[in-house]
Amino acid sequence: MQLEGFNIIHATPEQVFVALQSPDMLAKCVPGVKKLEVESEGVFKTTLEVSVGPVKGSFSGKVSVLDAVLNTSLTLKVEMRAPVGIASAIGKIILEPQDAATKVHWSGEPQLGGMIASVGARLIGGVAKAQADIFFTKLEQELTSKA
Amino acid sequence: MAEKMFGKALKRVEDPRFITGTGNYTDDIAVHGMVHAAMVRSPYPHAKIKSIDSSAALALPGVIAILTGKDLVGAGINPIPTGWLLPDLKISAHHAIQPEEVNHVGDIVAAIIAETRAIAEDAVALVDVDYDVLESVSLGSTALAAGAVQVHPEAPGNLAFDWTIGDAAATDAEFAKADKIVKLELRNHRLVPNAIEPRASLAEYKRAGDEYTLHTTSQNPHIHRVMIGAFVMGIPEHKLRIVSPDVGGGFGSKIFQYPEEVIVLFAAKKVNRPVKWTARRSESFVSDAHGRDHETVAEAAVMNDGTLLALRVNTIANLGAYLTTFAPAVPTYLYGTLLNGTYKWKAIHAHVRGVYTNTVGVDAYRGAGRPEATYVVERIVSTVARELGMDPVDIRRKNFIQPSEFPYQTPVALQYDSGNYEPAMDMALEKLGYKALRAKQAEMRKQGKYIGIGVCTYLEACGLAPSALVGSLGAQAGQWESALVRVAATGVVEVLTGSHSHGQGHETAFAQVVADELQVPVEHVVLVHGDTARLPHGWGSYGSRSAPVGLSAITMACRKITDKAKKIAAHLLEASVEDMEHVDGKYQVKGVPERSKSFFEVALMAHLAHNYPADLEPGLEATHFYDPKNFVYPFGTHLAVVEVDADTGRTKLIRYVCVDDCGPIVNPLIVEGQVHGGVAQGMGQALLENTVYDASGQLVSGSYLEYTMPRADDMVQLEIGHTVTPSPHNPLGLKGIGEAGTIASTAAVANAVIDALEPFGVRHMDMPFTSEKVWQVIHASQLAQAADD
Repeated sequence: MQLEGFNIIHATPEQVFVALQSPDMLAKCVPGVKKLEVESEGVFKTTLEVSVGPVKGSFSGKVSVLDAVLNTSLTLKVEMRAPVGIASAIGKIILEPQDAATKVHWSGEPQLGGMIASVGARLIGGVAKAQADIFFTKLEQELTSKA
Repeated sequence: MAEKMFGKALKRVEDPRFITGTGNYTDDIAVHGMVHAAMVRSPYPHAKIKSIDSSAALALPGVIAILTGKDLVGAGINPIPTGWLLPDLKISAHHAIQPEEVNHVGDIVAAIIAETRAIAEDAVALVDVDYDVLESVSLGSTALAAGAVQVHPEAPGNLAFDWTIGDAAATDAEFAKADKIVKLELRNHRLVPNAIEPRASLAEYKRAGDEYTLHTTSQNPHIHRVMIGAFVMGIPEHKLRIVSPDVGGGFGSKIFQYPEEVIVLFAAKKVNRPVKWTARRSESFVSDAHGRDHETVAEAAVMNDGTLLALRVNTIANLGAYLTTFAPAVPTYLYGTLLNGTYKWKAIHAHVRGVYTNTVGVDAYRGAGRPEATYVVERIVSTVARELGMDPVDIRRKNFIQPSEFPYQTPVALQYDSGNYEPAMDMALEKLGYKALRAKQAEMRKQGKYIGIGVCTYLEACGLAPSALVGSLGAQAGQWESALVRVAATGVVEVLTGSHSHGQGHETAFAQVVADELQVPVEHVVLVHGDTARLPHGWGSYGSRSAPVGLSAITMACRKITDKAKKIAAHLLEASVEDMEHVDGKYQVKGVPERSKSFFEVALMAHLAHNYPADLEPGLEATHFYDPKNFVYPFGTHLAVVEVDADTGRTKLIRYVCVDDCGPIVNPLIVEGQVHGGVAQGMGQALLENTVYDASGQLVSGSYLEYTMPRADDMVQLEIGHTVTPSPHNPLGLKGIGEAGTIASTAAVANAVIDALEPFGVRHMDMPFTSEKVWQVIHASQLAQAADD
């Protein structure tokens, strides 16, 4: 299922671009983060608590930043595993300046496997949108409070 | 005269314990020192196992052991075999834990043994399995297509078997003569069994004696003992006891010997503690053998007057990733042989290809092959009627096998021994008020209201099975049944039966028959089943075999008891045994009630044996092994009425009439219960249930969020009737009723929905008839209509 959406952040594309690759910032803003550490340049090891409908799970895995174009776009490759199954996605993020703010377009196609696919596949669209909203709201709070 | 119990609607004696939570199910059993197993299951439909790192899981406090496929193979544990071999069957090893490759989502890659279930389940998350993900295939026809992903190297092109039945040339000849050929493409979609009690197993191992006991959710503990003991684990049968206590529903899914049973037995010895595993519901979805999953092209050759000439059927049967216990038999001998239905086809030819896919194994599910066959026959006969402008009732009446024509040899192997189809159909039509309802249907259509009437005049072959016949067809074991009737000194009658009750009410119905045979109070009869240590070898319950086969064995054993009791009584009364009669619970000299001995007196004397016939052994017990001479052939007419809301597509069952002929009825309450459950399951398939694998091979209908089980408000009060045509070949004339409701109702409801949608030009559509699908066809028809206007 192809998912897409956008969120407006009251910060510059430069600020957002940096924040999206900052382990501290991600740890504060990604919903359910339990652990996030840099494994290598552009690769984060992370553990997330996620719930999709009736399925809750602690997902562990890697998030890699690919194809970063300075202050403009980047691609995130997510590979996560949990007792309830597997989740992977290639997500594309495009930053578009909009007055003093940034319009963040996001799109991707999550692949679910195992129990989480059998229980949560239909719900994943709504969950992804809600998680994105939480993430970008927090990101904006972090960026504007610093400013 | 004691009251006759046969035919009485006694309330089920097992129900108080079931409904007050005092049943004894496998998961209720806790033994000292017991530990728990949890399975690490593949999230991928097809992948190579590159490595398994269980160090983090092993480090978790409370984890005792972690087993992998290599551990089992290394210890000499064999793959789980299938129980039915077809010629040239391509078999791929079904390991309890996969050592190298996983073949469906839910396939087991490791097992955790831990002090508690919670710890075991937590540890599952810590097992790091590195997979090399492979392409997968989940639909049968896709798997057969050129260039398809190969599931197993042993089965090129994913073809497990290629099977035919019937005379192809004779069928072609009839097609050449036909006025008309009617063709249907039918998808009989995949179902998940959903027994209310998930599967569970508890293994105990005693070092002293090297003995195993397995409590497990089985419909047939001796089949489990044979498969596990002789084939998988190499345990001598006297050292492997299988107990199947109260079991909460099976529907076929608990016939099969499953991987988890092997795992807990192996683990119990390895860790020297009892090991229990109970499935989570989400595990049931990906590990209980599924049902149905056929793609079929059927063609009927017919004459313009409605005479049915010949039937040609081509079916792709999706078998899933592994051949489970009865898997090869279900889409072949339990399907192809049933394609004759109740009609006088001159020729039939069926071609079935069994196909491997990266999905859960498919095997017997309530009706097992017969619902699939009935769906094909009854859908195509109704379609023929419609295309010839005939009433679906008339075409059936015209083509029925007549009572004078039995025994009737069908073109597909079976010989029907008895039947009388028209009275059952007439009774159903009268109950429904068929003619008046047809008139009402026409009136309603004028007002934009759409009801449909579905007709299904089914026949089934059950009472599995005549041993020599099924042996010649590939069954690796006969399907006779055993009974041991043991009378205690106090007159209590213990009946040990190889049949297994997992909701069928045997403790009640079987006791009724024994009470009549021995003329004892029904409450003095105690049924024992489900324990290989107590019973003679038996084959369990499936294929509607408990009444026609299991109860026949019990009846014959009871008659041996009566014969012996007469001899004891004759001796005590100093009379000749030829002069003895068994009247009103007493053994008396014919016509002289004063000279009699009660059952209790005889039973007591049989045990005390102080005054005993010289030519008799003491004791009062008898064993009988009963092998049926033929299948039994229940039949009947089911009429479904549905209402379709044209604005929303909502399709609802509004009436259901069923007249079944299952022979003489031991307990009408239990028979009605079987019909209720069966109809609900068949209706569930037609309207609600569906098992969906997505394009990547993930099961996306793996919970009750997605998999729509029928609920009470989806059902209607059934209008039930019976005709009685006894089986000519078993002692009580009994036939089976456990599956009839499912066999008939899917086709009846489907025919009703298609009938309701006739004004929208719908000739056929595949189940399940969900609101969305029905709305789509109505909406498309309305758009086409608007475009024409």
